[in-house]
Amino acid sequence: MRALSALLVAVLLAAAAAPRAALAAGSTTYGSAVVNYKILPSVHAQVVPNYAAGFGPQGGAGSGSSPAPGAGAVLDGGTVDFGNVVVGYQYIYKYAAQVSVQTNDAAGFVVYAEGATDLNGSNPVPSPSTFPIFQTLYWLASNGSNTPFTPAKSFVKTMGTPIAGGAMGIDYSGVGGKPSAGSVVWSYPVSGNVSQGFDYQLRLPGTIPTSQFNVYVVYTVIGN
Amino acid sequence: MRRHNIAALLGLAVVAFLAVFSQAEALQSLRATKYVVITVVVTPSPAPVGFLRPSAPAGARQPAAVAANDLLANPFAGPRRVAASNTAWDVAPGGGTMVAQSTVQPPPVPVQFVAKPDPNSIYLHVIPHTPELDVPYGTTNFACAFEVYTFYDKAAYALNDYGQGTTKSGTGTYPIENFPTTSYLSWATPDFSPTFHAYWNSGAPGEKVWTGAMNQAQQHCVDLSIVVPNVLPAGTYTAVIQYNLLVN
Repeated sequence: MRALSALLVAVLLAAAAAPRAALAAGSTTYGSAVVNYKILPSVHAQVVPNYAAGFGPQGGAGSGSSPAPGAGAVLDGGTVDFGNVVVGYQYIYKYAAQVSVQTNDAAGFVVYAEGATDLNGSNPVPSPSTFPIFQTLYWLASNGSNTPFTPAKSFVKTMGTPIAGGAMGIDYSGVGGKPSAGSVVWSYPVSGNVSQGFDYQLRLPGTIPTSQFNVYVVYTVIGN
Repeated sequence: MRRHNIAALLGLAVVAFLAVFSQAEALQSLRATKYVVITVVVTPSPAPVGFLRPSAPAGARQPAAVAANDLLANPFAGPRRVAASNTAWDVAPGGGTMVAQSTVQPPPVPVQFVAKPDPNSIYLHVIPHTPELDVPYGTTNFACAFEVYTFYDKAAYALNDYGQGTTKSGTGTYPIENFPTTSYLSWATPDFSPTFHAYWNSGAPGEKVWTGAMNQAQQHCVDLSIVVPNVLPAGTYTAVIQYNLLVN
């Protein structure tokens, strides 16, 4: 295909460059041109919450109650809704989100994930109204054997600017154009069409107020 | 005579049985359980060592050094380089042109939960101070990594701990491991003693942390000491300690 394109362009260029005199005489002059072109790298990505059957919260051992997905959680969409959880206990949310990436970038890509804000309390509004997402909400690659105590990394609150409270993402233009290096959740070294699932953990300290909490987790995919 | 002996033996057996089991019953009812989850992030150490060239005396800058410093200040100030044809440059050098990396941000994932009060917290709760231990190789101590509060209003009580998931003959992971391997994570309650104890890692009933009288509320700091052996790969690990409040 490349060779065909180059040949076609070469012929057109040669024709355009031919001296009028030669054309008038009816003779044909041939030439060649080297055409280099670059296919710009492209990255496409999708994130699907509750991406597999069996999604939802587990854990809370010792709390006296068993968690169940909240009303906002539906298969292949909706909210990662832990439902009712007890202060001071630990939970895992299975199959919380799946990130799919399609890229032709031979150097691969990096996926970052950050909290658009801290945890926003409501109903009732606590004082202060937010609680740190750091060391409260964690992520780990999905695995059937994961438990609330499997090693995981904490989400962090972004240094960027949340758009519409995070519902529309995060604007990183004021912080160098990309998320902090510590928020990498997945690196892939070559091009491809690939997916990675993630579980979330909730480790509620005894100091978190009783309230409903919400936050947006924003995934940003950047080609290498 | 023989009947008397049998009766006496039976009596002794009953006394022995009561003695053993009344002790076993002491503080054997589990009133509340809490788990302390500690993230351990092991970073390579020691830090890389670099050597700095001694600075030249004032006024003695070499032309090459001047050029290098100027280039550092402005990477495009040096002699122009021309991109050759048929090369694989992503960006022709010298022009300072930038090509944006492809970036995409799919719709965010909304996360929600409703935090409900803990009915057990009046008896047992944990106040975390250092839930993540960022440690190099070797031994590192953390003062008052967390505090534990205990109280019981109906009887005397005891607080026990052990590595969650450990058993008398199981396998474990760093840092608490499983008996007979000694835990790499140790604790001390400085209100009672500064001595560190390796965490109990052969399951229930665990080791005694402290005891309390009926209606005695206590809150004490727990210091942690962790050893990172040189053979351990850098990475993230988790220590989970189970605290049980046992009552009569």
